[in-house]
Amino acid sequence: MSENDKFYVERCLDGHPDDFRYLVRRYQAALLANLAGKLGDKDRAEEAAQETLVRAYFNMGKLRKPDAFFSWLLGIADLVAKEQYRKEQLQRRRQIVRSFSEEAPPTELSQDYALETAIAELPEAYRKIILLRYYGGHSCNQIAEQLDMPLGTVTKTLSRAYAMLRDALRQQEQASSL
Amino acid sequence: MNCTECKELLVAYVEGLLDDSQKQTLAEHLKNCPACQAEADELTGLQERLVRNGKTVAQSDLENGVMNQIVREQNIRLKAAAKATEALKTRRILMKSPMTKIAAAAVILIAVVLIGINPFGSSVTWAQVIEPILNAKIVIFDMILGTDDTGVVSHEIVIGSRMRKTMSNMPNMTMIIDTDNAKLLGLDNDAKTAVYVDITGDLGDRHRSYIKFVRQIIHQLQDGQVEELGEQTIDGQKAILFVGKGQNEEVRIWADPETAHPIRIEAQIGQEFSFTMKNFEFNAAIDESLVSMNVPEGFTLQKTDIALGNASEEDFVESLRIWAEIIGDGTFPAVIGSQSAMSDMPTLVQKVDAMQITEEQGTQIGMSFARGLMFHQMMENQGGQWHYAGAGVKLGDASKPIFWYQPQNATTYRVIYGDLSVKDVAAENLPK
Repeated sequence: MSENDKFYVERCLDGHPDDFRYLVRRYQAALLANLAGKLGDKDRAEEAAQETLVRAYFNMGKLRKPDAFFSWLLGIADLVAKEQYRKEQLQRRRQIVRSFSEEAPPTELSQDYALETAIAELPEAYRKIILLRYYGGHSCNQIAEQLDMPLGTVTKTLSRAYAMLRDALRQQEQASSL
Repeated sequence: MNCTECKELLVAYVEGLLDDSQKQTLAEHLKNCPACQAEADELTGLQERLVRNGKTVAQSDLENGVMNQIVREQNIRLKAAAKATEALKTRRILMKSPMTKIAAAAVILIAVVLIGINPFGSSVTWAQVIEPILNAKIVIFDMILGTDDTGVVSHEIVIGSRMRKTMSNMPNMTMIIDTDNAKLLGLDNDAKTAVYVDITGDLGDRHRSYIKFVRQIIHQLQDGQVEELGEQTIDGQKAILFVGKGQNEEVRIWADPETAHPIRIEAQIGQEFSFTMKNFEFNAAIDESLVSMNVPEGFTLQKTDIALGNASEEDFVESLRIWAEIIGDGTFPAVIGSQSAMSDMPTLVQKVDAMQITEEQGTQIGMSFARGLMFHQMMENQGGQWHYAGAGVKLGDASKPIFWYQPQNATTYRVIYGDLSVKDVAAENLPK
């Protein structure tokens, strides 16, 4: 499980599909956090994360830089989330026409929906690092290595990301207390 | 250290990335600067919040779900890809104009295999299930070679003594068969060509419209040789299974327990031939012109010398030769029979194509191959005893018997050897 992404990507492409599970293990939490923030509920996030991973598996041949697997995965996730969102909007519109039924409260992935939303709204460069750090279990050094950037840049990016998260959370709190 | 410097290092500090001296300087600054300390507290607070949430999220496990879905989709994709290649292959074969006739021979072989079956006698009644089968004038169903639903699917429309088939591996070919007059009309919907084929002879004597065959199966089932095996789930439906065993055949019918509508029929005829029928529809409102024997407008009738008369042992020996020499590069195939011949047909066409011979010669090879197989299929249908031992034998090897059978009304057996010589052999001297 200590091999890098490139290793597993190449194993999959060499006809060892089972090794994809290591990539799933490595990134599922990051993916879920990212999608939960975007979609706002646990079931939807899980569904989208699964779809993202399956899509990634079948499109692995198109991944030019196996090192960039995670960024690529996030790109797919964004696409899946967008598709799902559009689909749901359509369904909701039909539902509204059909009835005034109450909307069931979304089951949240965790208590901290506010945090997840704030993460989901971060620009990609920042989001990626937060996801890797807290949901992918990477240390700053590992992130530096994986994203091929100096450690100083990682901490600077993190610092900026924290500031943005704090702002976003503060705004949310203000909005909800109004 | 001033506040700006402190803020710059704060994340590295919280992350534990600073060396001891840096750490100490920073800690000292924090002690004396409440603003920076507040900033640091807020940062650790946020960090803890992230860690907590990270742990919660990590409890969800997608691994099995993802891996299972991949396996499922992989299978679907593989099947679709195999089908696409098969269709493409066939299409390429059919589109190559000089080889159209050999492909026509292939199609006819398939048609022959599917209609030349006459397994049962007839008798009494199992009223409910068979009522629609016996009385429907129009029957639509799908026929699949083999019983595992992976074979070539033939979509069949039977109206009276006429039928129309489309095979899934040759979607652009349509065959219309007039069983009263033993004639087949083959239509190539891409090339817009039509061809008439005479199927008299052995076939003329014994060909059956498919529904007639189904009726015979049903008759067989009334015979007291039927066993009811109770309720099962088949093709996603509840069904009652009946199994009928004849001398040379075994038939399984799954019928709807409430409406008696047949859901699926599987038949095993002789040693090598099995097929499945499903998606039955009775007396659907369809246009009878679908089974018209006239050449449709816009189609050019091709002159042809394709005729499938009586097939002899000599024809069969010739198809064995073609099988070994052309398809097998000098080695006899692992299995023989209509099913394996069909799966080898694309190879034959490709090899013949590569031989750079004339269209006439190519067609001749295709026809000979098909005709010899008819001999074998007839033997199967009549319940004849045969044995094939040619797997891996080299063409020309006179020491190895590859096939033997007992002709009807004969006391001795005919044995075909690897060099394709044939001898009469008494039963006690047969190869073991």
